[in-house]
Amino acid sequence: MRAVFGLSIRQLTGRWRISLILLLAALPVGLAVIINIAASGDATFNRDFTNILLDGLLVAGILPIVTMALATSSFSNELEDKTLGYLTLMPLARWRIVLPKVLASLIICGPLLVISGVVATLFGFDGEVRPAVAVAVSLGAGVLAYAAIFTWLGLVTTRALPIALIYVLLWEGVISTFMSGVDYLSVRGYSLAIMSGLDRPSFPALEERVIELPVAIGGAAAVTVVFLWLGVRRLRRMDVP
Amino acid sequence: MSESQVLIKAPTIEVQGVSKWFGSVVAVNDVTFQVRPGITGLLGPNGAGKSTILHMIAGKASTSEGEVTVLGQPARNNPDLYRDIGVMSEHEAVYGFYTGREFVEFTARLHGLSPTKGPVDRAISLVGLEDAQHRKLGDYSRGMRQRMRLAAALVHDPQVLVLDEPLNGTDPRQRLDFHDAMTRYAEQGRTVLISSHILEEVETLASTILLMVSGKLAAAGDFRAIREKLDEQAYRVRVVTDSPRRMAAALAGTDDIDSVSIGEDGELTVLSRNVTSLQRAIPRLAKEQNIRLKRVETLDDSLESIFSYVVDR
Repeated sequence: MRAVFGLSIRQLTGRWRISLILLLAALPVGLAVIINIAASGDATFNRDFTNILLDGLLVAGILPIVTMALATSSFSNELEDKTLGYLTLMPLARWRIVLPKVLASLIICGPLLVISGVVATLFGFDGEVRPAVAVAVSLGAGVLAYAAIFTWLGLVTTRALPIALIYVLLWEGVISTFMSGVDYLSVRGYSLAIMSGLDRPSFPALEERVIELPVAIGGAAAVTVVFLWLGVRRLRRMDVP
Repeated sequence: MSESQVLIKAPTIEVQGVSKWFGSVVAVNDVTFQVRPGITGLLGPNGAGKSTILHMIAGKASTSEGEVTVLGQPARNNPDLYRDIGVMSEHEAVYGFYTGREFVEFTARLHGLSPTKGPVDRAISLVGLEDAQHRKLGDYSRGMRQRMRLAAALVHDPQVLVLDEPLNGTDPRQRLDFHDAMTRYAEQGRTVLISSHILEEVETLASTILLMVSGKLAAAGDFRAIREKLDEQAYRVRVVTDSPRRMAAALAGTDDIDSVSIGEDGELTVLSRNVTSLQRAIPRLAKEQNIRLKRVETLDDSLESIFSYVVDR
C-alpha cells in the first residue's frame, strides 16, 4: 500500500496544482488579517467572521474546491493516460489501491487547509486556541469525506471535475444554504456541525442552523466509508483500459 | 510419461465460449481456445478482438458470456493470480517521472518482492537496458519504453506472460533480442502469449498460433500447418504494363499461372498458387517481350487477406 501511496503523492504534487492550493489556502489567512484590522471592534464581528469567512469562504468554498482539484484527478488522470492498468494488474486487493489514493489527497490537502483555517481563526478570535482546534477538526473531517467522494467520482467518469464543481456549487453551496434538512446529507453541514459542537460559545452564529454533533460525526464517517466502498466496488467491476 | 510432464503440458490459459460486446458492437464472439506452455501467437488484423481477449485473460475486462481461467483460476477479480502472471498491455503509457529502474522497482514492490535488487537487476538485464536504467521513462525512445515495460512484466518471474503487441516501436536488433529472451523464457516451461497484427513478427517466434478475425477465432494450431493450408489458396497480383494484352498472353502460357484477366482500365489481375515462381516470371517475360512494367503489386499481402481465406474456407 505504501508504494501506491507514494505514487499517488508524486502524481498529485504537480507544480501548478500545489501552487493553486497554496494560493487558495492563503486566501482565508489574508482575509482574516484584513477583517481583524478593519472590523474587530464591531458588534457583528464574530457573526460575520463565522458566516462569511469560516463558513462561506473556507468550509463551503476552499475546502471542497481544493479537495476536488486533487481527489478527482487521483484516478481520472490514470484513466486518461491509461496507466491505471499497471495498478490493477498487481496482486493487490482493490481497497489497497483506492485507500492510498484517498489518503494521498487527505495528506496533501488536509495540513494545508487545517493550517489555513487555524491561522485564520487565531487572527479572528484573538489567539484563542479552542475555536482554532474546532475549525481544525471540522476541516479535517471535511477533507476526508470530500476526498472519498471525489476519488470515487474520478473512477466513475472522465468528467469528474466539472461534475464535482456543479455538485459543490449547487448542493453544498446553494441548496444546503437555503434548505436546512439538506445539512443531514451535506459535508458542509457535517463540518459546520463539528465546528460548532466542539466549541459552542465561540460560534453562536452557527448554533441555530447546524445538526447535532454525533449525527455530523456519524454522517461524515458514513460518507467516507460508503464512498470508499463504492470506489473499491467500481474498481472491481469496471473494465480497465 | 511422468506426472510432472503431464502437468507441464496441461493448458495454462483456457478461454471457454467467451463473448464480449460493447452496446451493440460484438468485439469477441463465442471464442474457445486453450494455451499451453511455450510461445503462442495471437494473430489478427487491427480490430479483430485480440486486445479484448487479452484484456479478459489478464482480468482487466469482464466477459459478457463465457469463462476465462488462468492456471486453473478465474482471471477476473482475482488479484492473487497476478503473482503468477505478467502482463504487458498495448498502451505505451508510463509514469514518466520514474526512471526505468524506479519503475521496475515500483512493480517489484507491488508484487511484494523483498529485497527488490536481485529481481530488478535480472529483469533489466534480460531486456538489455542496464545503461539506460537511471534515465527517466519520459525521455526513453518508444522501443526502450517497450523493453522497460517488458522488464516490469518479468520482474516477478511469472509462469504466464501475456504480451499485447510487444514489438511495436522496436527495431530489428531489439526484435532479435526479444526473440531470444522469449525463447529462453518458454524453454523453462512457461507460457508466453503474444499478440500481433504482423504475421512475420510472430511466425519465427511462435510454433502455435491463434488467428482471430472479426471477433471470431478463425484458426488455431500449429503455425506451419495453417501456413500450408493458406498456401493452397491462389494469390492475386496486379500488373500494370504499357502492353497489357501481350503481357496477358505471355503470362497465360506459363505453368504456374492459374488465370489472367484484363480489367477495363487495362490492368492485369494474375492468380497463382506459386508466388515465388510468379515473382520470377513477370520480370522475365516483360524483358523477353520488351514490355515496360509500370507497376506490380500483390493484392493479398495483408494479414486481413490471408485471414479472409481462412474464414471463407
